[in-house]
Amino acid sequence: MVRWGFTVDLERCVGCMGCVIACKAENGTPPSIHWMKVVEQEEGEFPYAKRTFTPLRCNHCSDPACAKACPTGAIVKRPDGIVVIDQDVCIGTMACMSACPYYVPYRWDGEEGYYGDEKVPYEVEKYSQFKKGTAQKCHFCYHRIDEGRPPACVEACPADALNYGDLEDPESRVNELLRQKKHIRPREELGTNPGLFYLTGKGGGTVGGGK
Amino acid sequence: MSKGPTTNNFILELRSQRHWDWKVAFYLYGAGTSAGLVFLELVLRRWAIIDEPTALSGMAVGLVLALVSLAFLFSHLGPSARWRFPYVFRKPRTSWVARGAIIVTVLVLLRIVILLPSVPGFTGLPWGEETNAGALLRMAAMLFAAAFMAYSGLVLSSWNSIAFWNTPLLPILYIAYSFLAGLAALPLVVVAFYGGAKLVGLASVLEPALLVLLAANGLLLLIYVWGMATATMAARESVRRLLRGQCRLSFWVGVVGVGLVLPFLAVALAMRGDLGAELTAAAWLAAAGGAIQVGGFLLRDSFLRVGVYGYPL
Repeated sequence: MVRWGFTVDLERCVGCMGCVIACKAENGTPPSIHWMKVVEQEEGEFPYAKRTFTPLRCNHCSDPACAKACPTGAIVKRPDGIVVIDQDVCIGTMACMSACPYYVPYRWDGEEGYYGDEKVPYEVEKYSQFKKGTAQKCHFCYHRIDEGRPPACVEACPADALNYGDLEDPESRVNELLRQKKHIRPREELGTNPGLFYLTGKGGGTVGGGK
Repeated sequence: MSKGPTTNNFILELRSQRHWDWKVAFYLYGAGTSAGLVFLELVLRRWAIIDEPTALSGMAVGLVLALVSLAFLFSHLGPSARWRFPYVFRKPRTSWVARGAIIVTVLVLLRIVILLPSVPGFTGLPWGEETNAGALLRMAAMLFAAAFMAYSGLVLSSWNSIAFWNTPLLPILYIAYSFLAGLAALPLVVVAFYGGAKLVGLASVLEPALLVLLAANGLLLLIYVWGMATATMAARESVRRLLRGQCRLSFWVGVVGVGLVLPFLAVALAMRGDLGAELTAAAWLAAAGGAIQVGGFLLRDSFLRVGVYGYPL
């Protein structure tokens, strides 16, 4: 059984925001919704100061807190591990938004577009796929995955910082990277079993030892 | 201060949740208080401390409060999407929100059924107070009221995304506050329906009970905040925002001052007879009841507003 996973190489990310734009272009998300974010951080002080970039997105957890909290069953995990929201069932309780430790889901209440109240034809076309008052989040570009293509963010990344693959397949690209580099999973201690790994340096295995 | 490549100062603000706002706070307060009121007036009626009309008045006020709270909750749902609200009952196996929706709906229906025999035109219905069916319905209402009081805290404490809520003490605190606000609502009900003279007769029972509940809630709140002040970084940040940050006025003036200290003083002085004649003391008791309601709402609102996520990594 396939379980799609994702790796983010923190050493390779240069903060170009290509993934953010690619996600916006692919999915046409409204201004207030960001399925892909890149957090910029400053570390250290002059003359050793540096800027680091951390892409944040839905972790497509094996045990998703959002799905547990949702009273309607709108958030479901596909057999391949991708967590998606059924907009026809969501009623906008925002329980998923409070329950997700990564504050990933958004609710779109039909606010204005990028250029004010009047939407351009692109926005009219793209926003028609979002139902007003429902939760929204990254769906791993499942429409592309189902066609055998990579998610838009992965395809757009110029630094090869983002990768995806089948976590159950030992020969997949993500498993190869996990063997090569030390990695962490975001807030793993909460028991959500995220499908996203941050690669932090050479050596393989989890940061601080372990498998 | 040491400098060098090993000094890492991550700049990433701890974010507070903004999704569950004052409307949800009002729902948690209103429906919780309504459950507390129903539970206590059924107990007081069973012990023959209050008469049947007073008990039914309390039941009716509790019902209205629950319906108003549900209206606030409904307006909190997504625009357009909210009309699919019956879906909220679909996942009680995993979701506390669904469980709460079921509990509050059953409780509302039970109260309507219990109240029906007292409505002109339905007086012959066979589940009045003296009947077995009536006793069974009242027992069920007590059970669901207790369940809702617990739910109002469990729904928040079940999520480990926000450390300030993620403690078994939260349901205990919310149960205690539901009892306090429920009992404090009773003088208001009596004054509104029957005038101050009837409250004078109840004061000897209500005043000591209110004093005990006020003291217990104050102590629980202190333990809660103290415990969180020594917990994880996100929980400590929540405590900072509550005591010294954006919610400090709401907490110190509203929750502590208006909601606990002033009512405690008013009830204690009324008990000692320092607040004048019986009717004046009863008026103070009703005023204290109103102040406790303000504190009860602001507690829920402040707790929601200072809910801070941990770092996402």
